[in-house]
Amino acid sequence: MFGRNRKHDQPRPDENFEPYEEFSGIPMPVYWIAIALAIWGALMLYDTGKDVTLAQDDRVEDRAVQVSADLGEGGNLFVANCSTCHQPDGQGLRGAVPPLAGSEVLGGGPDIVARILLRGIDGPIRVRGEDFDGHMPSFASALNDDEIARIASYVTLTFSEAGTKLDPSRVAKLRDELADAGSFEGGAELAKLATSMSPQPLYPVPKMADAMTATVRDLVFVGRGDVWACASCHGDLGQGGENTPRLAGQSADYLAKQLNDFRDGTRNNESMQIVAAGLSDAETASLGTYFSTLRAPSNASPNLSADLARGEQLALRGDWALGVPACFTCHGSSGFGVAPDFPALSAQHAPYTATQLATWAGGDRQNSPLGLMRQISQALSSEDRRAVADYLASLPPVPAGQTASAEEATSNVN
Amino acid sequence: MNRYLPLSILALAILAFATLMLVIAPGMQIDARSVPAGLRDYTEAQQRGRDVYVAMGCVYCHSQQPRSPDQAPDGERGWGRPSVASDYVFDAPHQLGTMRTGPDLLNVGARLPSEDWHLTHLYQPRAIFDWSIMPAYPFLFEHKQQAETDDTIVILPPAYAPEDGVVVAGPDALDLVAYLQALDRTYPTPTDGLRDDGYASGPSADASSVEEGDG
Amino acid sequence: MSTDPKAREGDSKGGKHTARNIIFAAGGGLALVALGTLAVELGLAPTWLTGEPVQKTAMAEETQHNLFNPPDPADIPDDEFGAAVQRGMAIFTNTGTNAADHVGNGLACSNCHLDSGRQPLSAPMWAAWVAYPKYRGKNKQINTMEDRVMGCFSYSMNAQGSPAGGPPPHGDDIYRDLESYFYWLATGAPTNVSMEGSGFGKVEKPEQGYDLARGEAVFAENCAVCHGPDGQGQKDLNGRYVFPPLWGADSYNWGAGMARIDTAAAFVKHNMPLSQPGKLTDQEAWEVAAFLDSHERPKDPRQTGSVEEARKAHHDGDETFYGKTVDGRLIGVGVQASAAAEVPTED
Repeated sequence: MFGRNRKHDQPRPDENFEPYEEFSGIPMPVYWIAIALAIWGALMLYDTGKDVTLAQDDRVEDRAVQVSADLGEGGNLFVANCSTCHQPDGQGLRGAVPPLAGSEVLGGGPDIVARILLRGIDGPIRVRGEDFDGHMPSFASALNDDEIARIASYVTLTFSEAGTKLDPSRVAKLRDELADAGSFEGGAELAKLATSMSPQPLYPVPKMADAMTATVRDLVFVGRGDVWACASCHGDLGQGGENTPRLAGQSADYLAKQLNDFRDGTRNNESMQIVAAGLSDAETASLGTYFSTLRAPSNASPNLSADLARGEQLALRGDWALGVPACFTCHGSSGFGVAPDFPALSAQHAPYTATQLATWAGGDRQNSPLGLMRQISQALSSEDRRAVADYLASLPPVPAGQTASAEEATSNVN
Repeated sequence: MNRYLPLSILALAILAFATLMLVIAPGMQIDARSVPAGLRDYTEAQQRGRDVYVAMGCVYCHSQQPRSPDQAPDGERGWGRPSVASDYVFDAPHQLGTMRTGPDLLNVGARLPSEDWHLTHLYQPRAIFDWSIMPAYPFLFEHKQQAETDDTIVILPPAYAPEDGVVVAGPDALDLVAYLQALDRTYPTPTDGLRDDGYASGPSADASSVEEGDG
Repeated sequence: MSTDPKAREGDSKGGKHTARNIIFAAGGGLALVALGTLAVELGLAPTWLTGEPVQKTAMAEETQHNLFNPPDPADIPDDEFGAAVQRGMAIFTNTGTNAADHVGNGLACSNCHLDSGRQPLSAPMWAAWVAYPKYRGKNKQINTMEDRVMGCFSYSMNAQGSPAGGPPPHGDDIYRDLESYFYWLATGAPTNVSMEGSGFGKVEKPEQGYDLARGEAVFAENCAVCHGPDGQGQKDLNGRYVFPPLWGADSYNWGAGMARIDTAAAFVKHNMPLSQPGKLTDQEAWEVAAFLDSHERPKDPRQTGSVEEARKAHHDGDETFYGKTVDGRLIGVGVQASAAAEVPTED
């Protein structure tokens, strides 16, 4: 009876159930997983360790390149920094850039070349009987003492009879002396130092005083009602920082156009839209003029850890395999800009340039003529965008306008 | 129970090893770093502002550690170069943070140096960014009928300005802004800068691949 | 204990298999993930997986074919020949300075031969080098490369307005250096063949013909931003041409190939706006080419008698405005090129 009943019972959970692992071996796949994980882990550790060491070495090396005294002869520096304008053979550009070969200025020796490199020139100059507009940037922010000494020596040794070697300590001394000197007022001021120079054209009266009206002064330094002061973000000299753009020396028409674009929503940036909404057409125009007359030293640095050689390639020669022409084909030699549609790029902050390229590629910024920047930005990879931004940040600032020290500018307020 | 001794020795040895590797060695490594040439200690006002920063819990939404380009596009966002250990030499305790509900602030003083902008933004973030989710801090400010001579008036768009009188910044707001303006680590990376680049594929490798790509 | 072992085995068998399958799947998946990660780490993964997609511009699309690839300037040899190549490249890109005596306008070779004479369909010099000597209808004789470049100086560079008053004489070093550069650009190219990408390409004359008013509209919309609303190009703050002038005293003269509408249309269609070739339709390319070639420019140096005589001798046909009358004005009389010899300095 019992037995029969039992037979018909539903099978109950087995209280003495033993997990099969107890008597079957560990399945092979588990071994595989364990071994795969171990190999993976070991490789990752090795790889990461190697990368960290590499990156560290690279940083030290980068830094070393910047500060090293051993930069080879000045020729390489000359080609990298001077030749886009003065040409590798020092012949300059007819009607635009004075020649170095046979230039009377070099009669003053490497000392005067160092002074020019530190201060830049901003005024008409006569070289070998031809008059030039004479806009040369100051390389004080772009080159160190040693580099300036090497270039100055190279230039005088190669292109003149008065060549001697210049010591970096002399450049350091000049740098201190000339910190607030501003740029040379054309050949007229240079001729005082280099007696070998022929009579020079007169230096025209600066235009900055005209641009500095009471309204502009208030807008730039004090702000007004619901408008923050320009200088509070863009700096007393319009030099900017990180992704706040540099405005000093930018073309007046370009700046006015951007302010107008912010105002009518063609260009997006919340803070700037608030500012621009409070400005009249006349004010945007005069603000543009004001910033275009500023000549501030560069405070930009290539801080995006990108490949500067690639950046230089894109800026000077482009990458035609990607269909990207050189930046300078349109933005002018050395990135000084071509008014009114092609802004100056040199000494612009790397994060700003890279961000703008990214917003063009993504479609957030659309106010470039013919959609030129959109297509070009989309053809660049993110590394390329950083590379070109870094290279442009390493260049000397636009050699336009007058030098104004911060004290001078702010003292006008009161 | 007669093997207490080896057991304790082993336990203590493990503890000592861990302490050595995880505390003492990194400590020595970090102590060996010098103060970066471009970094200044906080002034008194900035230090007070730092306390406000801590008290307001800014760290819950804002990190202070820009990352390397291989990890995140922080440089392109304008947040600055990747930070290294010595950037925090004057920060005790550091405000590294882990959350990025808002942007990284280690270089906010470089990218947004405007005192007026920060005051507006702290008083009411929506006055500038209508999409902002940052809380407003009106209690750091004072609503007055008439500003006194040394008051700092907050610039506000009409929609957010009080109907009468002006909004002036309180001492905590001014200190906080002073601290934010001092957050600027844009000087070049110190040569002995200590940083873990994680999965960075060495820059040298990148450079060579670019050269190959040239037509 | 008392359960039937057979039943139990049958029970757990299903479960055991499921577990085994899960472990198999997980193991396989993990191994794949590990391999995939390694591949990405080592840079073996395709870019569509790792990087953001890069959209090449239209200019790259144009040159997607298996075209000849000239050598990299970094590979110019470091010897006497290399020096000549470097000098030739300098003349090519900065003609107004490095061949100053023979340039009577504001142009450089590289204004029309883009990317320093490397870009396909903008008359690349690697394709030109292997096509000479050849017979040209323009002067009805066999032309060597030197003859051809001499023609460039005479017409495109308007040598009649230069300090020397004419192109460099035969045998001049300018030709040696330029030819060294061309020869080097054509490294590895077959000789005596017509290479793909040579010249400016061809754009058939559209059925609707061309209309100057429509050409003006195309110009205003697509060209004026760079070349200026008056077509006179734009200079940087030092007075250096960044965008070349398209007509007037500082541009190419009436004898240049570019003064012919079909040539200019082909150049425009395949190269302009820079970085966006192909943006204009054939119709628009012809119309804008007609618009810019209906403006006055330095006179044809071959014109010794009247414009009408020169038209009959050199400009017969529908592809040029030379000798025709537009808005009551006879085209082809030329503008004073003397101003061009001295580039004006501003303020």
